[in-house]
Amino acid sequence: MSAAPPSIGVNGRPVALEEVPGDERLLDTLRWRLGLRGTKEGCRTGECGACTVLVNGEGRLSCLALAHELEGTEVTTVEALHQDPVGRAVQEAFAEEAALQCGYCTPGFVVALTGLLRGDGPPRPTPELLAALGGNLCRCTGYASIARAVERARTRLR
Amino acid sequence: MSRAGRPDAETKLRGAVEFGTDLAVPGMRWGVLVLAPAAHGRIRRVDLSAARALPSVVAIGADDVGPLVGGAKGDPDRPPFPSREIVYRSQPIAAVAAPSLAAAREAAKAVRVEVDAEPAVADLERLFPEWPGPQARASPQVAAHVLAHRGNVDRALAEAETVVAETYRTAGIHQVALEPHACVAEVTGDRWTVRTSTQSPFGVREDVASILGIPEASIDVEGTWVGGGFGGKGASMLEPYALLLARAAGAPVRLALTYREEFLLGRSTLPAVVRLETGVRSGRIVARRVRLLLDVGTSLPGRDFATGYAIGFLLGPYRTDAFEVEGFAVRTNKPPFGPHRAPLAPQAAFVAESHLAAVARAVGQDPEAFRADHLWADGSTTPLGQRVGPFGLAAALAGARARAAAWRAELPAGHGVGIGLGFWSTGTGAGGEARLRLDDRELVVEQGEREIGSGSVLIGLAEVAARRTGLPRERIRVNYLGTATAPFDAGVFGSRTVGALGRAVDDAAGSLLADLGRRMGEVGPVTLALEGDGLVARGPGVTRPLAELLTPHERATGGLRAAGRHYGVAGEIDASRVVEGGFYAYHDFTGAAHVAEVDVDPSTGGVQVVRYAAFQDVGAVLDRPAAQAQVEGGVVMGLGTALTEEAVWSDDGRLTNPGLLDYRIPRMPDVPPIEVVFVEGYPGAGPFGAKGLGEPPIIPVPATVAAAIEDATGAHLTELPLSPERLARALKAGRPSRSADAARRR
Amino acid sequence: MAAYVLVAPASESEALAELAAAPEGTIAVLAGGSDLLLDLEEGLRAPRRVVSLRRLPWRRHRWLSGGLEIGSTEPLADLEADPELAARCPALAQAIAAVGSPALRRQATVGGNLGRAAPASDLIPVLLALDAEVELVSGSGTRSLGLDRFLRASRVTALAPTELIRSVRCPEVRTRSAYLWQRVRPSNDISQIGVAVAWSPGERRWRVSLGGSPPRPVLAEDAAAELAGPNPGETELARASERLAAHPALVTDRRASDEHRRRLAGTLLDRAVRATMAPGRPAP
Repeated sequence: MSAAPPSIGVNGRPVALEEVPGDERLLDTLRWRLGLRGTKEGCRTGECGACTVLVNGEGRLSCLALAHELEGTEVTTVEALHQDPVGRAVQEAFAEEAALQCGYCTPGFVVALTGLLRGDGPPRPTPELLAALGGNLCRCTGYASIARAVERARTRLR
Repeated sequence: MSRAGRPDAETKLRGAVEFGTDLAVPGMRWGVLVLAPAAHGRIRRVDLSAARALPSVVAIGADDVGPLVGGAKGDPDRPPFPSREIVYRSQPIAAVAAPSLAAAREAAKAVRVEVDAEPAVADLERLFPEWPGPQARASPQVAAHVLAHRGNVDRALAEAETVVAETYRTAGIHQVALEPHACVAEVTGDRWTVRTSTQSPFGVREDVASILGIPEASIDVEGTWVGGGFGGKGASMLEPYALLLARAAGAPVRLALTYREEFLLGRSTLPAVVRLETGVRSGRIVARRVRLLLDVGTSLPGRDFATGYAIGFLLGPYRTDAFEVEGFAVRTNKPPFGPHRAPLAPQAAFVAESHLAAVARAVGQDPEAFRADHLWADGSTTPLGQRVGPFGLAAALAGARARAAAWRAELPAGHGVGIGLGFWSTGTGAGGEARLRLDDRELVVEQGEREIGSGSVLIGLAEVAARRTGLPRERIRVNYLGTATAPFDAGVFGSRTVGALGRAVDDAAGSLLADLGRRMGEVGPVTLALEGDGLVARGPGVTRPLAELLTPHERATGGLRAAGRHYGVAGEIDASRVVEGGFYAYHDFTGAAHVAEVDVDPSTGGVQVVRYAAFQDVGAVLDRPAAQAQVEGGVVMGLGTALTEEAVWSDDGRLTNPGLLDYRIPRMPDVPPIEVVFVEGYPGAGPFGAKGLGEPPIIPVPATVAAAIEDATGAHLTELPLSPERLARALKAGRPSRSADAARRR
Repeated sequence: MAAYVLVAPASESEALAELAAAPEGTIAVLAGGSDLLLDLEEGLRAPRRVVSLRRLPWRRHRWLSGGLEIGSTEPLADLEADPELAARCPALAQAIAAVGSPALRRQATVGGNLGRAAPASDLIPVLLALDAEVELVSGSGTRSLGLDRFLRASRVTALAPTELIRSVRCPEVRTRSAYLWQRVRPSNDISQIGVAVAWSPGERRWRVSLGGSPPRPVLAEDAAAELAGPNPGETELARASERLAAHPALVTDRRASDEHRRRLAGTLLDRAVRATMAPGRPAP
């Protein structure tokens, strides 16, 4: 056992896991323990992507992860996304393309795309990015405006 | 963040808007519904004692409703909980609330339910293996029977040179709004307050009052942001339960469905079987008979809205002399049929279009030309005698045919191109009211609808006010008010928001400008404008700062006010053509012609839609990006109906695919590029000639995809969805499908 | 109160001790959790204790002389990120890409997939065609089992309650391999059928397997035999496809009829073998 009390980082702040029951999903920790309800609960079965957060900079489904399983990692939610230059660029691209309607899938989409565009090297080709967003469901937009926003964000970050 | 094309973009992109599922208040309890374990049965006992023995748990069942509402009598036809008979699986039979969701789930499990299961009816055609005869009208399984006709169909069919008879089947589908139903209720004294994710706060208030038997004046409904509605959030679902639990618990109660429950309890489109006969003589349709068997679930007799409404779409937007339409609303052990983005209209368009294509081929005509020849024009009369107003479908079809020709000129092997048509009535019949408030900084629209995503409230109403007053949209704010203070509106559904509530805003703006005109000394027509940082009113040759035109009292109380209303005139049908049942009168006709190119893998039946174009009669475009997004979204939702979406029930009435794994909506990689072309110049009844765009773009999609598949393969599919297995089976059978129509030639 | 106690042992022996100490049926093993958490949510399983394997040093793979060893708890995304995978075992890369979304693959593991033994697993048919061996460890030692023997039925394996899957070993790199699937919706759906083919340079024979049809993915020896040499001709391909289409494992369930599966099996086998012979592919 490590000496330091187990914790995860959430948007740059440590969250002690001692108080968190072992069976609690990250999604519930975020939404109901920390009040970060920007991360949405959709299907809770890993099919819709509305609950996507970044774990150490990569997209993960918070409905399918126990909070304790992420001990020692840094979690970024939509509430802090604008603090990341890539996240901000993605949000701007979505705003400029009006790539949202009801907005329920939107946090998951912008977080997932941020995860895909972070890191070194040139952004992946647009078709790859669109395929990689296949885990995020949207029922309003038909994905068309979202695809335009992906292209816009990608171009901006190139 | 840079200026958003949508006023709600920034807050939504930061996850900062509060949806129904996000509601939380101090001291809140968590509610869970106890669902029926069988699709049909007699309740022997619902024992809540073990649940009630758990700490801080309240549990309520049928017997508790009366005392909780102080002896009020709710609608006896729709009690919150059944006391004797269970009519569909997962019907709520009790509810519990506890301090945590986990504790509430434990409590729900502790409720003991004893049911004597009875045989369930899950399938239309098991109930009616043969087409129901006139005596079926009296069957307890028939919730409604509708029949209308003109002329002598039997004789016209007998005299026709060619008669094509076909049977079609369409699947049950679900709205799949990403946000499950959710609300938080609180009861204080005689105030029953519920915050909820709804397309119709006033509709929820009316429903709750009716179900619980308490006066509307005691009920406050406050809408939250709505995470998608598509018709599924048009009426009350959870609110009565949440309110009863809150009353019982003496604390606020949050009640939300899991996504699985969303499928199990959802009221949506159910399966249908359609039989059609069409007679042609000298290249003209001379007679049509359409018969519909519609699964309406446990819709109550007299409350089925779907049958008489949907059946009109089965004849399509085509001229017909002699016709007969007959529909049976068949009760099965499923949740009641519910509103769903043009309920059954995409399915009906698929049937109507595919059938007419078969008819055209049977008489050796090109299906697209044949449909164009019979299409309604301005001034045409519908089968039920309604006059068709400005109608852009012929122009849309002309555009679609040109696009199809261009695509066909460069068509790769294995690909096909098809055209599908659809029409809709944009529903300005339901009424609404709005208020405006103007000061020297901004114009505020005060109204009672929440933005559900389409933009019809935040963009549509603002644009109407902007066009009428001349102000830029940036200086117009659309405010939402709860039912306690908002002016009435019917709801965000039926493509009516801009058309009806927008007319109320327009009306209010007209009053506002007239008032300003009087204050300026009747100088002539007045508009508003932004000068520097303040608003001014302008008449011919006169400009006055608003600050000067407002009274001190107005300046101190938020500004100059005006109210507007719009209660549309309901359309009328020719009653002499109706034999029995309620038919739906259309209001404002709009249409669309779509084109799809598909790539078919004949060995697997796999279909990829590679490109798509929508020619959409919209009257007048108010906001192009929002309008385009509505069409793109509608097309993709329609692609799901066409290709992959199907709710599957077992013989004992169990929904076998209540989840997003086996209920397949389109995903990002599945969708084609979509070209949206607006057909303007055929004005509707909405402000500035606008027609609604909620339902219209979804309607032609399954028909369009089916036509493209037939073009690619020759397979004439008669069942939705057009799944790979169905297509592969049709191709394997080697049926030269186009000539397999039951055509008889004389 | 938590529904179960979550423990994350720091070593293999501690993990095995947890399993050994638990009364049967009261404990569940958590690898990535993408399947287990669904079962827990639906109430299909109600363990009192959940043993997480996250601290065990199994989250990696390594290329052996000629083969591949995959630690059971390595997320699929990590394996996928190895550029060698697509070159050395293309079928495996194709199968991994078919599993859920990238976010899901950061969680899902090979060991979890094998332990789950779902009939529609995309990984299992490929691992069958690669002649994978499953390394199992318990308090009484380790044993290695061919994957075909490890799989028993739908969601049933030879794994004893006191055992863990430590790794999966593919004895040989099979550059000429391919995996094809068919679904109702192409993206993120369950495969109605999956067909994996692999040419074994060592044994000079084809391996062909079928997935998607319950109760479990299977090897199709007779179809493989029809393919004969490394470069089957049209006749061999047609015969092999016919054989596979007649395979008794193809049955009807709610996701597809046996008739549809037969049609697909033959077609996909033909296409998969051709894919391995396409120009630009490494010579056998």
